[in-house]
Amino acid sequence: MDVTFYGGDNKGLINIDPRTKLLIFLTSGVVTLSSFSDIGVAVYSVLLCAIIALCGKPVTALKAIVLLGIVLYLRAILPTSQGAPSVIIMIITLVTTIFMFGFPMIMSIMLIVKTTKISHFLSAFQAMHIPVKAIIPVAVFFRFLPTVADEWNGVRKAMAFRGISLSPVQIIFHPWRTIEYVLIPMLFSSMSVMEELAASTMARGMDVDIKRSSYEKIKFGVADYILVVLIIGIIIFTSILGNMVKGGAVL
Amino acid sequence: MARKEIVNGNEQNDKKLRTKDLIFAGSFGAIYIVLTLILVMVTGAIPVLYIISPVLVGAVCATVYELCVLKVHKFGAALILGILFGVATSAAYLPGMILAIIVALLAELVMAFGKYKSKKMFLLSYVVFNLTMVCPFTNLYFNRDVFIAMATEYNGPEYAAGVASFATGWLPLIQIGLAVLGAVIGLFIASKLIKKHFEKAGIV
Repeated sequence: MDVTFYGGDNKGLINIDPRTKLLIFLTSGVVTLSSFSDIGVAVYSVLLCAIIALCGKPVTALKAIVLLGIVLYLRAILPTSQGAPSVIIMIITLVTTIFMFGFPMIMSIMLIVKTTKISHFLSAFQAMHIPVKAIIPVAVFFRFLPTVADEWNGVRKAMAFRGISLSPVQIIFHPWRTIEYVLIPMLFSSMSVMEELAASTMARGMDVDIKRSSYEKIKFGVADYILVVLIIGIIIFTSILGNMVKGGAVL
Repeated sequence: MARKEIVNGNEQNDKKLRTKDLIFAGSFGAIYIVLTLILVMVTGAIPVLYIISPVLVGAVCATVYELCVLKVHKFGAALILGILFGVATSAAYLPGMILAIIVALLAELVMAFGKYKSKKMFLLSYVVFNLTMVCPFTNLYFNRDVFIAMATEYNGPEYAAGVASFATGWLPLIQIGLAVLGAVIGLFIASKLIKKHFEKAGIV
């Protein structure tokens, strides 16, 4: 996984404000949890991919879209395929369901993590006069998600290297041991990353309650306004659709 | 001159959250939520496991929570975890989010009883905090038809019927019980692991 932490090379066609990106992240939760069709989620996911491509990460967006296409195709042909054994159908349904459910969330996290500089993120919210103490946990939260994935990969490789398998059988028969083997190294290495982060924020002078100045240009552009209007439209649309189903004759 | 002020400021704010504590809370929040989501998504394929997910999450995530509050030991760590958890898991359903924040505040209250020093109170607060795992299910309690319709769309009718057969009026109580059970199991593991690894290393 080549995750550049808050890699912010501003090579994109458009630069979206971090606030808009956070709004997109929250909307992803709303869409996945209250949309009732694959089509809705798919359209939203394509929109997300388009935004990521425009923000300067076309390769990531392309990979994601190809993956989404494959999954949608699988889901479309599943009900009509009679010959396959039911176990395989069940497994495929399971995996694609998890994929469809998590895809918008993961893509919007990608959008924040891959195309935003952390200083840009902080100063955008400071411009709204939100106290630093409220912004830092959120910024660190997003900064840390790829780290968790990274540490997880490291732990898994180390376990494989020592011949400890992470197969379902092992997890079911030795749950306590699995928890210990996975959690402890992950927490230890994450904690050293946290210490480094704390030292770095100290060096940047975040500890002081004085208004900080920034080189970053913080401005809501045309793209931001268009996206915000679009997102509010999507939220209203999905919530109305949800209410229609609630009032309708489903169950 | 300026440097003096900074040093003084840090000493005065020793009871308040400092930037370092915020970083710990935010990053432990990320670990906690990733673990929760992985557990719920992977086990969520089977309706029974989905309903009893508070036990699984409680058992695994207790260690993360305990480390977080032991590391910060001030007001705010559990609250930040609760807010992040609420936003990440129940963003679509506002009552669930508010409930998560209330539960986190209650957990803070338990810790405040021990004046943020008593180890037993730190442990006990997770029993309260793990009730946040009930929050994503509030949608199922109060908005049952919508939830079932969604399950039908995502996972197919059999799965939805499975979830529906469990979603009776007693479900909230059962899940609260499961969350407490999970927290107790988790605390057993957490106190052992912390004693075995983290206290030895001098981290906590």
